[in-house]
Amino acid sequence: MALSSIFGGATPSQQQTVNSTAANSVTDKVKSQIAQELAVANATELVNKVTDNCFEKCLTSPYSNNNEPCVDQCLAKYMRSWNVVSRAYIARIQQASTSGEI
Amino acid sequence: MSSFSPADLGNLDDNSKKEIATFLEAENSKQKVQLSIHQFTNTCFKQCVPSINNADLSSQEEQCLTNCVNRFLDTNIRIVKGLQSIQ
Repeated sequence: MALSSIFGGATPSQQQTVNSTAANSVTDKVKSQIAQELAVANATELVNKVTDNCFEKCLTSPYSNNNEPCVDQCLAKYMRSWNVVSRAYIARIQQASTSGEI
Repeated sequence: MSSFSPADLGNLDDNSKKEIATFLEAENSKQKVQLSIHQFTNTCFKQCVPSINNADLSSQEEQCLTNCVNRFLDTNIRIVKGLQSIQ
């Protein structure tokens, strides 16, 4: 799963479905609203968790300076970590499903 | 942003309802996976990335993150089995 998917980036196959069917039907509107709301929920979750982690790692009491370089690097590290974790988790799910555990 | 009225929803035919139900089910399970990834990243980042010196992950940090996810899942499975045996 790519990180871009949490911001609502449709995969090529999804885009094709929307284009090839009547794009204005109620069904498509319902689907796109659901996808949109999930994307917002995911982006919010990410912003909150990165802020939590990077605030903790980059700033210290009495919070007299911003430490912006650290926050920028921390954000980049967090996104990379998100991708590593995603890969490990999905590999594990696939492993479990091929061995019939789930 | 597309919009539709509540009346439109009532007028949907059975095929469309089925299509939406299938879509919801797929999005729902995708969302569960996403939420788990958010949770694991949060937990494992705290443990595996002790300090911020640059924007890249070191190979140790990367290995730690992968191990962290796998041990978390092992623990989860162990707990489920343990609870099942008490029942």
